[in-house]
Amino acid sequence: MRKAYKIYFKRDFNKWSIYTLAIVLFIALPIITIFFNLFSGPGETWNHIVKNVLLEYSLNSLWLIIGCTFLTLLFGVSSAWMVSRYKLPFHNTLEWLLILPLAIPSYITAYTYAGFFDYGGTLELILKSIGITSWKINITNIFGLILVLSASLFPYVYVSARTVFLYQSGRLIEASKTLGAGEKTTFFKIVLPIARPAIIGGLILVLMEVLNDYGAAKYYGVSTFTTGIFRTWFALEEPSTAIYLSAVLLLIVFAIIILERYQRGNKSYALTSKSDIKLPKIKTSKRNSIFLFIIVSVPIFTGFILPVIQLIYWSFLTFKDVASLSFFMIALQSLGLSLLTALLTVSFALLILYFPKWNRIESLKKSSRIAILGYAIPGAVIAIGVMIPTLALDKWMIKALKQLANIDIGLIINGSIFVLLYAYIIRFLAVAYNPIEANHLKIGNGLAEASKLLGKGNLKSFFKIDFPLLKSGLFSAFVLVFVDTMKELPLTLILKTYNVNTLAVKAYEYASDELIMEAALPSLCIIITGVLPVILLNRLILNEEN
Amino acid sequence: METVLNIKSLSKSFNKGKLKVINAINLSVKRGEIIALVGESGSGKTTLTRIISGLETQEEGSIELNGVTVANDTVFIQPEERNIGMVFQDYALFPHLTVFENIGYGISKNEDKTKGVETVLQLVGLKEFKKRYPHQLSGGQQQRVALARALALKPNLLILDEPFSNLDVILKMQLRDEIYNILKQTNTTTIFVTHDMKDAIAIADKIVVLKKGEIIQYGSAKKLYRKPKNLYVASLFSPVIKLSSSDLSCFNYKKINSEEYALRLEHIIVNKALKYTTNVFVKQSVFLGNHYFNTAELKNGTVIHFKSKHKLKNEVLLGFKRKNLLELC
Repeated sequence: MRKAYKIYFKRDFNKWSIYTLAIVLFIALPIITIFFNLFSGPGETWNHIVKNVLLEYSLNSLWLIIGCTFLTLLFGVSSAWMVSRYKLPFHNTLEWLLILPLAIPSYITAYTYAGFFDYGGTLELILKSIGITSWKINITNIFGLILVLSASLFPYVYVSARTVFLYQSGRLIEASKTLGAGEKTTFFKIVLPIARPAIIGGLILVLMEVLNDYGAAKYYGVSTFTTGIFRTWFALEEPSTAIYLSAVLLLIVFAIIILERYQRGNKSYALTSKSDIKLPKIKTSKRNSIFLFIIVSVPIFTGFILPVIQLIYWSFLTFKDVASLSFFMIALQSLGLSLLTALLTVSFALLILYFPKWNRIESLKKSSRIAILGYAIPGAVIAIGVMIPTLALDKWMIKALKQLANIDIGLIINGSIFVLLYAYIIRFLAVAYNPIEANHLKIGNGLAEASKLLGKGNLKSFFKIDFPLLKSGLFSAFVLVFVDTMKELPLTLILKTYNVNTLAVKAYEYASDELIMEAALPSLCIIITGVLPVILLNRLILNEEN
Repeated sequence: METVLNIKSLSKSFNKGKLKVINAINLSVKRGEIIALVGESGSGKTTLTRIISGLETQEEGSIELNGVTVANDTVFIQPEERNIGMVFQDYALFPHLTVFENIGYGISKNEDKTKGVETVLQLVGLKEFKKRYPHQLSGGQQQRVALARALALKPNLLILDEPFSNLDVILKMQLRDEIYNILKQTNTTTIFVTHDMKDAIAIADKIVVLKKGEIIQYGSAKKLYRKPKNLYVASLFSPVIKLSSSDLSCFNYKKINSEEYALRLEHIIVNKALKYTTNVFVKQSVFLGNHYFNTAELKNGTVIHFKSKHKLKNEVLLGFKRKNLLELC
């Protein structure tokens, strides 16, 4: 024991160990905060919530999970297989069009469809023009919410499934065919099981987004844990009860992750030999290919084309009212905040990737994995987890300044942009970390080790060797975080300062005031910033696999 | 000759102690010596070199370089401060730097970088390639650049990790001689890791045989060839057959001192009158290019293999010379 202590602290503990611990603490603080605050007990309204609404939150969240799982799997897997396996008209274009719904935040898709189906909405106008007056559809309920969330989020499943279908199943399909199995049997018995981990991985991302959603659920009147947290925090002003709700939501998230790991078990889905065969495309009859084309077009139409056309139309109608100087200021603020967040988050991703590597304590070397934590935690929970310690720090600073220098100042950190940026970093760290880590895996550790053996320390080796070779990963990370920040709503709503506004919040505010058409222009601005990176992402996926 | 590297009781395990990869290794290397670390995959060769260079830490034991402790329970000198050159198995050339920049990378600002680079480029015969990038070089050229880069630092110790594994046979033989000449010319103390005993025999002054993290035997190639400690060491040089006392009795060999004996296939002599012989019936004689591989059975039923220049059939006389009989521990 004494020897282990000697080795641990005297030999292996270095400055990078300290920096690693600091970064880990920085990232884990929101969760630690929520956990520790559980011990101080819930607020007065907790019992009311347990008696009256907790079951509703739970059931609605469960229905959302089940419904979105079913639909995103249906849209995502089927479209991935069709574009991968069959020669469809414009199949190259279809492949990246199917990713485009990701450019539209789910709450904007929700507002658009609500307006489309609403009284006096576009659908009613179209139906009236062809003589149908009595057919109305109410979409603002849990079923409508499931539909719009699925239409918006299915690309997560699509991207994961497509990669496996295209590049990991060719040889297996050949083997299956030589053993007498037809196309259908091969798909269900071979291709789908092999793709299962990737599909589940995509599905997990969908479910995280579903649990994180606030804008769509609020607008559709569906009470979920996230809307409950907002209500408890803002309307009831009961932070401790909000913390309890956050903890319950966290438990659900962890349960999903653990369930996913458990169901995977010890099965290996890796091929025993490397397969270099890309899945060959089958040519079908013209009738079949048109039929399949229409089926594949449905999710593109519902997830992207229809919402965008609707938003463009409304923008034209409301442009003069919305496009004011203050709107452009908001757009600039959004842009600036997203750029700053992207820069900071990418920097932190580099720190959490390299500091553990440079430290010598074995148990700390794996602490980079904490980077992925933030993406699993709903934005509302992060917001609360960030606010509590920063508020405590503010109170301590106010007290200290009063005692030491008799200076009376208000809150310094809380209510400032720093808290918002801190929360953004936690939330999007995984988004930045993953492409950088993937790039780094390709480079390997060999070059940095060679550099160290040539006399350069960790930092010099990083800047001279790793950094120039990480450019594509860093660029992807920057773009992805930028887009996600532009789209982010729940966290921003809780933590934004009085003088900071974003396009996402503006769209939400318009929608909340039943000004759906006015919400179109800020929504379109968000979508435009999202489209190009989504296309870039598609290119990067294809280049990486090639 | 002074000792450059001194390793005492070095141990390392993975998986929270469940997998011992290095077990109480003691090793000394003198200045100018070329030492080969030989062993099968998983024997601990690469882990040992990574610990020596500081890329990994040990659990127990100490390492001294030129009399200075660089690693023990309380001390750890960073890899960049140990002045140990390393040539990696995949060369690890920086793809975005030219040959000149790669080689000059480790040369300190106080030295004349151009002179330093030109000198080693001359040494490895790549002067006209200095402006090229690694991807514009052949495998052999990349190997030489990697060596030049490590030598440019005038290291205390040079480690070559499987330096020839990525090369074809002819290129390997050519480079092996070149590298040997360069190392002797510069008097560089070298440890090189290989799983191929032929490379070790060709270059090394001494060979260290590792198995399951332990040093099985250490000595010159001749010593290991003539007096291997066990069957594993013996078989590293050439195929051997194990012989029991009962097997040796068939040859009329009665002086049994050890439990285990072995003979190299090339030392089994066919159809020659020797002191220790036996008659055997050849079951199979297979052509393998430059010799025939034969299978026969001794009087006690033991299957024996041996080589011959010609195809054999029916009964033959097999024998061996006493000096070629390997007495194993």
